[in-house]
Amino acid sequence: MSLKMEMDVSGVSRAPISVLPAAAAEEVKATLRPEAERPRCSSTPCSPIKSTVSGYQILHMNANYLVGFTTGEELLKLAHKWSDAGPENPTTPEALPASPLRRPLDVGLHRASRIYKAKSRYYQPYDIPAVNGRRRRRMPSSGDSYLRPTGSGGAGTGAGEPSKALHGPLPLCLLKGKRAQSKSLDYLNLDKMNLREPAADTEVLQYQLQHLTLRGERVFTRNKT
Amino acid sequence: MSYSCTNTGKSQDPSSAKKSGGNNPGSCGGSGDTGSSNNSHNNRGNKANAKSNTAEAMKVKVGCNTTDGRIPATMEEELLANTIITPDDVLGLEKITQNYLCGPEDNVYDIDFTRFKIRDLETGTVLFEITKPPSANKADKLVDPNAGRFVRYQFTPAFLKLRQVGATVEFTVGDVPINNFRMIERHYFREQLLKSFDFEFGFCIPSSKNTCEHIYEFPPLSDETMCAMMLHPYATQSDSFYFVDNKLVMHNKADYSYSGTP
Repeated sequence: MSLKMEMDVSGVSRAPISVLPAAAAEEVKATLRPEAERPRCSSTPCSPIKSTVSGYQILHMNANYLVGFTTGEELLKLAHKWSDAGPENPTTPEALPASPLRRPLDVGLHRASRIYKAKSRYYQPYDIPAVNGRRRRRMPSSGDSYLRPTGSGGAGTGAGEPSKALHGPLPLCLLKGKRAQSKSLDYLNLDKMNLREPAADTEVLQYQLQHLTLRGERVFTRNKT
Repeated sequence: MSYSCTNTGKSQDPSSAKKSGGNNPGSCGGSGDTGSSNNSHNNRGNKANAKSNTAEAMKVKVGCNTTDGRIPATMEEELLANTIITPDDVLGLEKITQNYLCGPEDNVYDIDFTRFKIRDLETGTVLFEITKPPSANKADKLVDPNAGRFVRYQFTPAFLKLRQVGATVEFTVGDVPINNFRMIERHYFREQLLKSFDFEFGFCIPSSKNTCEHIYEFPPLSDETMCAMMLHPYATQSDSFYFVDNKLVMHNKADYSYSGTP
């Protein structure tokens, strides 16, 4: 109902709110759609099928006001699923949830994906011309989108499917939870990452990349000779 | 079931900024029959506006964000070192906690929230309703024991315009009677305290199921504040602390988005 989607301004008029730029406002209005038609259960055609989240049953959700609800358990499962999909999905780091405000909550996950990509030797977006008869492997540069922090990409660049499924970054309280219980995420070594010093990790990362490259070149040279 | 519930009974409104929608269910201990009784109680609290609290100062808990500073500020790190955390301890918290201040095992009273509903009181529109079926297995091993103490809401911008919202919560308690059951819920936006709610449920008889509705009123938000809250999803967060006999027994968390996108 359009009336329900209209919002008060100063509690007087019912004119649509215009606090956002026009484009964003249109996008916001587009989200204020009437409650979507849910598939009906055959036994009770008048009742929508109830959805469940982590054992809880959502009886009603008015999409004019609430479009999503999830629990910490669901978020962790989705995060685990997303991390498992990393090797097969080269765009996974880009799919991190975008946020205009770079928050330390998602730095751990983002950092994990960056380290994973750094160790992968097989990702090369384009062929590098051979120089002096040697084929060089492209060094990741700071301009690469998958190394760029999600926040700098803007709201529209990071909204991949995994991020949508993840419903945003993991909250810090889950990341800092009891590690003994979170064995599925232990391999990410999130608790060992220094979230407050991104520069140090970047330097370590670059050092590791250079080390890998040098090792690769030495092997190539050895084989050639 | 981790829900926070906003209640105007005892609220601190340091700014005109709107608080988040109710998430942790505020429980209500009402008198009733013994055994598996069903107790219902409606609580219509005071207005959340700080200005209206002058006439009802007795019911308003003074927090660290007030000018008189009766409650000293507390640090999360200090509280984590304490064996017992009291209501005054959490009332001094100036920002959202990074850690849970108690473990799931501290819920020795076996308080379990089984149903939660929020509705717009002006139109009677039910916004959200969730329940935990009896078949839900408590013994199911969670990926993280804290995972069951966190919920995330994705509201639309329209939610920020609501004036009155009622939050109905249903909960059960274990075999031990509960004295002085109390909930303190604090909402923050970008680590700035928006509002603190303090609700005393009183006594809960053992092995009872209780239902309570909290009615709260939202103060009008400035356009700038609403815009900021919409543009920064999950920057609005809340801590819900539950006390029995002035000892922290449960701690739930939630965060909120108002961008309207899942």
